[in-house]
Amino acid sequence: MENKKINITNSVIGKDLIKYFILIYWILFWLLNVVDKAIGGAHFLFVGKDRFAQVQRFFDSLGLGDPIIANIALIITVGLETFALVFFCGALYHFAKKNMDATRSWFFMGIALTLITFTYFSVGDQVFGDHFELLEHGLFWFIGLLSWIIFIRVDKIQIFDNFSVGKKQLISSTVLVIAITAVTTFSIFWHNHTSFVERTQTVEAVKVTENKYKIQFPFLAGSNAFESSIAKFKTDNPTENITYIYTAPTPLRLGQSDGLIIYIQTEKK
Amino acid sequence: MRENKLIQYLVLIHWTLFYVTTVIDKIIPDVYPLWVGADFYTLFIKFFASLGLTDPIFATIALTGISFLEIVAFVCFLLSLFNLYKGKDKISEQWFYRGVSFSVLIFSFFSIGDQVFGDRFTLLEHTIFWIILVVSWVVYKYNSLTEERVIKFSLSGDVKIGLLIGILLTVITSYSIIDFSHDTFANKTNPIEGEEIIEDVYKFDLPFLGDKTTMENTLKAFEDNHPDLTIKYIYTGPEELNSKKKTHMLLYVFTERKQ
Repeated sequence: MENKKINITNSVIGKDLIKYFILIYWILFWLLNVVDKAIGGAHFLFVGKDRFAQVQRFFDSLGLGDPIIANIALIITVGLETFALVFFCGALYHFAKKNMDATRSWFFMGIALTLITFTYFSVGDQVFGDHFELLEHGLFWFIGLLSWIIFIRVDKIQIFDNFSVGKKQLISSTVLVIAITAVTTFSIFWHNHTSFVERTQTVEAVKVTENKYKIQFPFLAGSNAFESSIAKFKTDNPTENITYIYTAPTPLRLGQSDGLIIYIQTEKK
Repeated sequence: MRENKLIQYLVLIHWTLFYVTTVIDKIIPDVYPLWVGADFYTLFIKFFASLGLTDPIFATIALTGISFLEIVAFVCFLLSLFNLYKGKDKISEQWFYRGVSFSVLIFSFFSIGDQVFGDRFTLLEHTIFWIILVVSWVVYKYNSLTEERVIKFSLSGDVKIGLLIGILLTVITSYSIIDFSHDTFANKTNPIEGEEIIEDVYKFDLPFLGDKTTMENTLKAFEDNHPDLTIKYIYTGPEELNSKKKTHMLLYVFTERKQ
């Protein structure tokens, strides 16, 4: 009898956890979306997406270049996202207070606003002709709808009864986790130790034909590596003028194993 | 209003708007003021040409057939929405089922096409839409079988606080958006200052708002400021050189001294 009681409690904890996960996910999702709009532009510790630039360019493609149009569209978006955030926060507050009826009402409003937001985005994607964003927003709409169903029906789903782990299983799984983590950590740190220099390291050009050279950059290489490599090439070849740089397109690279490859064409000064 | 009814409305409105914009996209095949859309005609022409069917009649017939199915699906969703509004729930459900059936058929055709044309990304896209439609139908149908819960919302203390916080956050974020727009909109046309990274090689870091106008103004300003230099070559920095999402576009200008 006592065992049964414990199992029921565990099961309720499991279902509550899923509801907490759903609520916390949507709160963080909308909170970060609102913060992204409030911050604007890339800053130290927050890059985000330049939504003003994105929306302004979309409207400009329709012939509506005035920034006021993009501002209005963004303000409508922010209104929807902010209220979705507020309703999910309210749902979490009531859920923590075990006020289930209010939780459901607040959560429902949050989900309704989420669905409206993604429908609004999907219409925009069709008008602007961006089918990748249409897929993205369609998927978020779908995830919102499923979140609603799972949230209201999770109580009817059979979840495993027991959260406890046996002593033997706990020791063996902990040893396994520690061992694999140690190996992986060593590998990551070693790779960092040996490879981070590639981010800025100058790469030597290889002569391909009489006046054509190849530079094959490692994956970590950024604009500094590119610039220092060009500078070195110019220093090493004072009699040559760069007339053209050809970037090898993806089909010329070997699957995922080649990074950026450029070919430099020169002529004698 | 009942919760399940509102969910049905939201599902129906989503698919009705999805199909009305899809149909408009087919009626307006090119880029016009207030409508850009996707150029399906060009896409179909290229797909069929890749099969060796270069006659445009194949692409035209295929596009017409697909458009017909999309129009039928749109009409089904519209009638379902209309009947739901009129309180004829059973008829609404029938029209929704027909709409979903046609939609599933459309995305199945698309998926077959994607396999034939070898386009794996659009195959993924169409399969995702296919499953979303099937689940939409399950949610719509399943919803009507669940309990009839009425949305309970009165202007109690917590709702008032929530609304107040929502309005406050919206106002603050809107102010921030307008301020950011005011500060950065000039980036759309203002020329960018170049940096000489190597002798006679200049780098320009274009902002996110930058487009062809920015580039043209930048080059004009550069030539005005450097009358002793001739632009020999312009290289667009590939994506691999960007700092992930922070950089929009890098432009390298190679110059030489005028004789």
